[in-house]
Amino acid sequence: MIRTSIAAAALVATLAGAAPAPAHAEVPVRVRVIKGARQGPASLDPRLEDLRRQLSPLAYLRWEQVDERSFDLALGKPVFVDLPGGDSVGVTLQERRGDTVTIEVALAARNTQSRLTVEKGQRIVHQVAPEKGGAAFFLTVTAWP
Amino acid sequence: MRDCLRFAPMIGAREGELEPAEARALEAHLASCPGCRAFAADTAATDGLVGEALLARANARDFAPFVDQVMARAGAGRARGGVLAWLSRHRRAAAATLVPALAALAFIVYVRLEGGGRNEIALLELASEGEVTMVLQTADGPVVLFGEEHGS
Repeated sequence: MIRTSIAAAALVATLAGAAPAPAHAEVPVRVRVIKGARQGPASLDPRLEDLRRQLSPLAYLRWEQVDERSFDLALGKPVFVDLPGGDSVGVTLQERRGDTVTIEVALAARNTQSRLTVEKGQRIVHQVAPEKGGAAFFLTVTAWP
Repeated sequence: MRDCLRFAPMIGAREGELEPAEARALEAHLASCPGCRAFAADTAATDGLVGEALLARANARDFAPFVDQVMARAGAGRARGGVLAWLSRHRRAAAATLVPALAALAFIVYVRLEGGGRNEIALLELASEGEVTMVLQTADGPVVLFGEEHGS
């Protein structure tokens, strides 16, 4: 009897360990294009208040939001976001496990891809254009906004 | 003949095995007995040949698998007892040992599922050509910068 119970418990534990984590097809994301400038008095667009701790260490003093989009990211399907300079950025959901997602930010103009893993409540801040005239553009990605 | 029967066991004796008186008596007998002298000569000729032959055969034999064979036989003996046999003999001890172990296993599985397998995926992966990229890891998430623009 005990032997049977032990075997059953071991089987259940093994099956539970082998079971994949539940996966959902799409993840809602909020993408913002923001601009940081070195010149002028320090200021932060009120819509970027949630990014204050990530932006404050940077050399740019004046931050303003240029564009904002919200959409659902499907696994492996890129969504392209236009930038003010005419370039575009590809945002792709690479993987989701529980409250953790891996998102790829692809900059075709610079032949650069970044895969970043963040938890729910975290945000990706990614520079997407080189600095010109003391200003640079950034993309922020928030999953489950 | 009677003397031959007496001295025959002494022929071929090792040095020191015979008392001095016995050795002297054997020498005297051999001097007077051609049969025992011939037997002693044969014994002397073959003395050492048997030992050398045994040693040669022992050297020719490969003892390399000897330890493996012994361990295999010892392992087979243990396997016949088996864990299950031990469990059946010590049910209470087995339960006292395995229940906490299974509880720990269940906890590990629970944590692994709740953790979403976070350790199995890379937190950060960058691929770039000809660019220097800097990453600031903050509690609110990563900040990726082109190298030359990183300030402060």
